[in-house]
Amino acid sequence: MRDTRCVLALVAVSVFAQDPVAKGIEEFHKGNYTAAQATLEQALKQDPGNQHARTFLALSRAATGGCDTAAKDLNEAYTSARNAELRRLAGLALAQCHMAHNRLDAALPIVMELEKQFPADADVLYEAAKLYMKGWNDVVFRMFQKTPASYRVNQISAEIFEIQGRYADAVAEYRKAIEKKPAAVNLHFRLARALLMESHAPEAMGEAQKEFEAELKLNPNDAVAEYEIGQILLAGNKPQDAAPRFERALELAPNFAEALLAVARLRSDAKRNDEAIGLIERAVRLEPENESAHYNLMLAYRNAGRSDDALREKAVIDKLERPPAGEFSEFLKKLGEKAPNQ
Amino acid sequence: MKRFAFLLALTAAGNAPEFPDFRNVAAQAGLVDSFPNGGSESKQYIVETTGSGVAFIDYNNDGLLDIFVLSGPGGTNRLYRNDGNGHFTDVTEETGLKSDGWSQGVCAGDFDNDGFTDLLVTSWGGLALYRNVGGRRFENVTIKAGLKQDRARYNTGCAFLDYDNDGRLDIFVANYVKFDFATTPKPGENPYCWYRDLAVNCGPRGLPFDHNILYHNNGDGTFTDVSDASGISKPSQSYCLGVLTGDFNEDGRTDIFVACDQTPSLLYINRGDGTFSEEGVLRGTAFDDNGKAMSGMGATSADYDGDGKPDIFRTNFSDERETLYHNRGGANFDDATISAGLARNTRWVGWGCGFFDFDNDGWKDLLLVNGHVFPEVDRLKIDIHYKDRAILYHNNGNGTFADISDRAGPGILERHASRGAAFGDYDNDGSVEILVNNQNEPPSLLKNAHRPAGNWVILKLEGVKSNRSAIGARVHLTVGGRTQIDEVRSGGSYLSQSDLRLHFGLGTATKIDQVEILWPSGIRQIVRNLNVGRVITLREPIE
Repeated sequence: MRDTRCVLALVAVSVFAQDPVAKGIEEFHKGNYTAAQATLEQALKQDPGNQHARTFLALSRAATGGCDTAAKDLNEAYTSARNAELRRLAGLALAQCHMAHNRLDAALPIVMELEKQFPADADVLYEAAKLYMKGWNDVVFRMFQKTPASYRVNQISAEIFEIQGRYADAVAEYRKAIEKKPAAVNLHFRLARALLMESHAPEAMGEAQKEFEAELKLNPNDAVAEYEIGQILLAGNKPQDAAPRFERALELAPNFAEALLAVARLRSDAKRNDEAIGLIERAVRLEPENESAHYNLMLAYRNAGRSDDALREKAVIDKLERPPAGEFSEFLKKLGEKAPNQ
Repeated sequence: MKRFAFLLALTAAGNAPEFPDFRNVAAQAGLVDSFPNGGSESKQYIVETTGSGVAFIDYNNDGLLDIFVLSGPGGTNRLYRNDGNGHFTDVTEETGLKSDGWSQGVCAGDFDNDGFTDLLVTSWGGLALYRNVGGRRFENVTIKAGLKQDRARYNTGCAFLDYDNDGRLDIFVANYVKFDFATTPKPGENPYCWYRDLAVNCGPRGLPFDHNILYHNNGDGTFTDVSDASGISKPSQSYCLGVLTGDFNEDGRTDIFVACDQTPSLLYINRGDGTFSEEGVLRGTAFDDNGKAMSGMGATSADYDGDGKPDIFRTNFSDERETLYHNRGGANFDDATISAGLARNTRWVGWGCGFFDFDNDGWKDLLLVNGHVFPEVDRLKIDIHYKDRAILYHNNGNGTFADISDRAGPGILERHASRGAAFGDYDNDGSVEILVNNQNEPPSLLKNAHRPAGNWVILKLEGVKSNRSAIGARVHLTVGGRTQIDEVRSGGSYLSQSDLRLHFGLGTATKIDQVEILWPSGIRQIVRNLNVGRVITLREPIE
């Protein structure tokens, strides 16, 4: 609501300092909401049909907690204003009003519509993030309040700990969840992943493998669990044991790119290079942005003596590896600095 | 990977590891000075994280390796003379090597072919070329040699090499980032200044790249920067640290591998016309087997599987595997980390590393030293630590390694924030010692208290038409039908210099059938029926 750029655009409709609408808008953007309300109310008396005056009066009222009196005009501006900037400002204010009164169901469609209309707008994305976070927080709070003994509480706690990087705590919570609900799908899988994140000790791989195996008992079609077991066996220098796990993972999920690459390596080790290349080419078709797939394809072509094809893949890798524009530019060094006018 | 059953009979201990007993004898040897390198509890700037290297060199030609240790500010680089009785004496002042600043790397070579080994020290700030004056003192000839840089550069790994085989040693210097204290953000100031929710020093991501440098030796004591003309400066998207030279495609010309941090590692292939082409990606040494750039720190090379081709090992960051690149011929590499059994240690930040044969069974083993870049990591109370132990792998002689760190003696298990590591037999007893730079502590000097069963030989090569240090000379040593290879190298490991002499474990062999040397000059020399258990000097023949 305090976006200076939009102010300038709107203020441009009236360049005269004595224009009460322009003055009111300026006061609004300076944060002088009470003064803005008085000025804009005066302006509306003179010109009751002035859309800008009406909208900015509503925005000023909403900014000072007067959501109820502002709601009608905000809603009208949000749904009907021709000016996109007015729609955006009104929509944001309306959503904030609903959120302030805990009417998340009313805020949700507005935020979703704003995201559609303004997909790269920082204010819109911020309000959306705030809304979803609030919704998530409310539900989690209710879960803890209403079903404290449920395994789901342990599961969600574990997932939160994972996000926070507290893997030991996550492991403990997953274990509690499994104790309460041994047959719940995905708990063993998540526990295995948390075990691998918690510890770098080789023993952790053994523990994780057991959990992936337990997951497979519950869901024999879990291709990712099969793949992860293959990876653990490979890291443990047991390629013979790893091979059937990768084969099975691919059988279960023929479009699983990582499994395609793993099986391609098996074929390559067995000197079945054409088959290996075919599998990696399939992975590349499935995931054209997959750097690992392109890299493996480049090496497979190189090893097969297909230099031109290898160079073509290298060109793709060079493009994919390139850091995003500006990533290393000076602006990053200045992120911590204040702008000159601050 | 090719294995011949009959060769196994030639090894002293077969595949069973002969456990060493490495002990840190630094204090007894007189290495008691601490070497400051930034903060120990917290580091505000990246320059505090990368130093420093060490060197084993024989500066006075008495046949005994001396020790050179680099320091950050608040200390000085120090040279210790080997007294020949297991003790070293600090000769820094009298040899003119006192210094100040952020020393990073060291490499050695006789750039003026006067028979005395010279030193190059890299720093954040600049370079220092020290000419060895008669084995008595060092003269700083940086300015005279034309090596004064026009701005403060973050120089890291270095190596003397004769890239054009003209008999004179040139210089390669890796550069890390463009860094200065005034503009670099402070911990936590941008997304690249965080590690696991800890505000830490920023970089290298987010800091500007610099480029690597090649100086050509003009033969009159001066050097010319040929970085652009040679193509060395062309790669511009890598943060470069450890430098490893070698003739990886076996065409008689020295190539350069550079371990780079969070960015593709580089492999400069020497085209033989004074230029290099960087081909790391296509040749398989830029990434891991998933095509992901690792945080490369140090690098070393050996023919670990006995197939006659030099392979490359690189140390990386925590949550990454170290990387072993197997040379399939012609400098085309495959990532052999997993198949070699090196994929299980992922909690370490590795730095100095080296292939060396601790049990003299004829198969090069592997040691790497560790220590995190962020002291702050200790606050997390996880299994990643600022100070950590080394890792010792025994070469099983079948293309795989076994981690024997827990059974290799207390020296391996000591925890330090280690960086550079150098390898050399300082008492000429056939057992290789390891010198390690530990940040803000005295260095470690790891000596095997358990005498290896296998026989050995050390070859000291002396160039005549080739550069005097014989850097770039390739040795094929044959015992009982099996041939080992090695190459004289400057630099390597992490910003460090190992013994320029070549150590070979010989197992039970009591005679060396043949030594073939391919000198950088192109001269091929064959010597037969050499005795074992000694240091042998081999001089380049005159055609």
